[in-house]
Amino acid sequence: MTGSPLLMVACRPESLSDLGRLVQVIGQFLGLSLFSLGGGNTLLAEYHHLAVEQYCWLTARQFADLYALAEAAPGPSSMIVGLLGLGAAWREGPGWALLSAVAAELAILLPSTLLMVVACLSWKRLETSPARMAFERAMGPITLGILFAVGLKILRTADTDPAGVVVSILVCVLMLRTRISPLWFMAAAGMLGGLGWINR
Amino acid sequence: MTDPTPSSPAQLAPPPGLRELFFGMLQVALSAFGGGLSAWSQRIVVEQRRWMSNEQFLTGLTVARLFPGPNQINMAVYIGAEFHGLVGAVAALSGMLLVPFSLLMAFGLIYFQIHALPAVDRLLAGVVAAAAGMALSMGFKILDQYWKDAVALLLAAAVFLALSFFHARLVPVVLISGPLAMIWYWPRSAVRPRP
Repeated sequence: MTGSPLLMVACRPESLSDLGRLVQVIGQFLGLSLFSLGGGNTLLAEYHHLAVEQYCWLTARQFADLYALAEAAPGPSSMIVGLLGLGAAWREGPGWALLSAVAAELAILLPSTLLMVVACLSWKRLETSPARMAFERAMGPITLGILFAVGLKILRTADTDPAGVVVSILVCVLMLRTRISPLWFMAAAGMLGGLGWINR
Repeated sequence: MTDPTPSSPAQLAPPPGLRELFFGMLQVALSAFGGGLSAWSQRIVVEQRRWMSNEQFLTGLTVARLFPGPNQINMAVYIGAEFHGLVGAVAALSGMLLVPFSLLMAFGLIYFQIHALPAVDRLLAGVVAAAAGMALSMGFKILDQYWKDAVALLLAAAVFLALSFFHARLVPVVLISGPLAMIWYWPRSAVRPRP
């Protein structure tokens, strides 16, 4: 972010069959699903770890791009998982990539959806249980800590020059103080990038 | 809290079938293209189609926020499950995700084709800076509600440090801090939650 000399170890993708990689993608997202506290954004740093550091599906730059794409596109931004699945199998061709994208999205949604259905059916009992109250109050501060870590991680991944960092901080303040749609910020910053005023 | 039965069941529409759930959530997703998904789903599900009372809807928001999974997606699951259990949840979820997910995949395919072009990369450098600002704002957005709780701030700080500076992974951090925090926040007396 501030031009720190990152020791870039070339990430080497494992040699896996097409099917092997698909199973890898599905397994990882199935395992993370139940840890998506506070609306799903808490998993972004884990996604980065999986996709960029552990399995080399994407470069850090591609990850930052896909995050921006998921935020800009209509619909829940948690659909970034589909984009990660797409990237994981991109080398194997668009057909496999799309299959992998759908599989990744289904995998991240399946466990939390099952739990949610159970929760809905038993909510009357859960609502007054002390465990539910303790869980609700406990997860708040943990989510808070995770979200700050995620914000810092995305800022580092964006890895722009100081001008870009200033724009990031400005957007952060505007997000908190105004109700302007973030799409405007992205469009304006994209123009600054196009003009060469923000680089990475 | 509120009465478990809807205040005026006569005013509710008959329970939607699977097809109606699918198309209702499709309508929500399409209406919310500019944002405000939660508001749109309230408008369509409660006011327009009268599938559930406002109380039921608000309960759904509480459950959706509490349980793991993206809030908006959990809300679709809640609406579907309310009427047809797991099958209903799948119908509602498919309706909500079909169009935005297809669109995003189309964007993704285009992205992987053209991202190496220098002009595109320059543009994205700016967009990414703005997106990083959005990510940075997420924590600050919910910080206010914890200002007066020193333990909460300490806990949040510990989680943040573990993840950001000690390179701990999320799953073990949650598995350790979660139970500890639950013990601390366990309701001590048998007081019922205030209405």
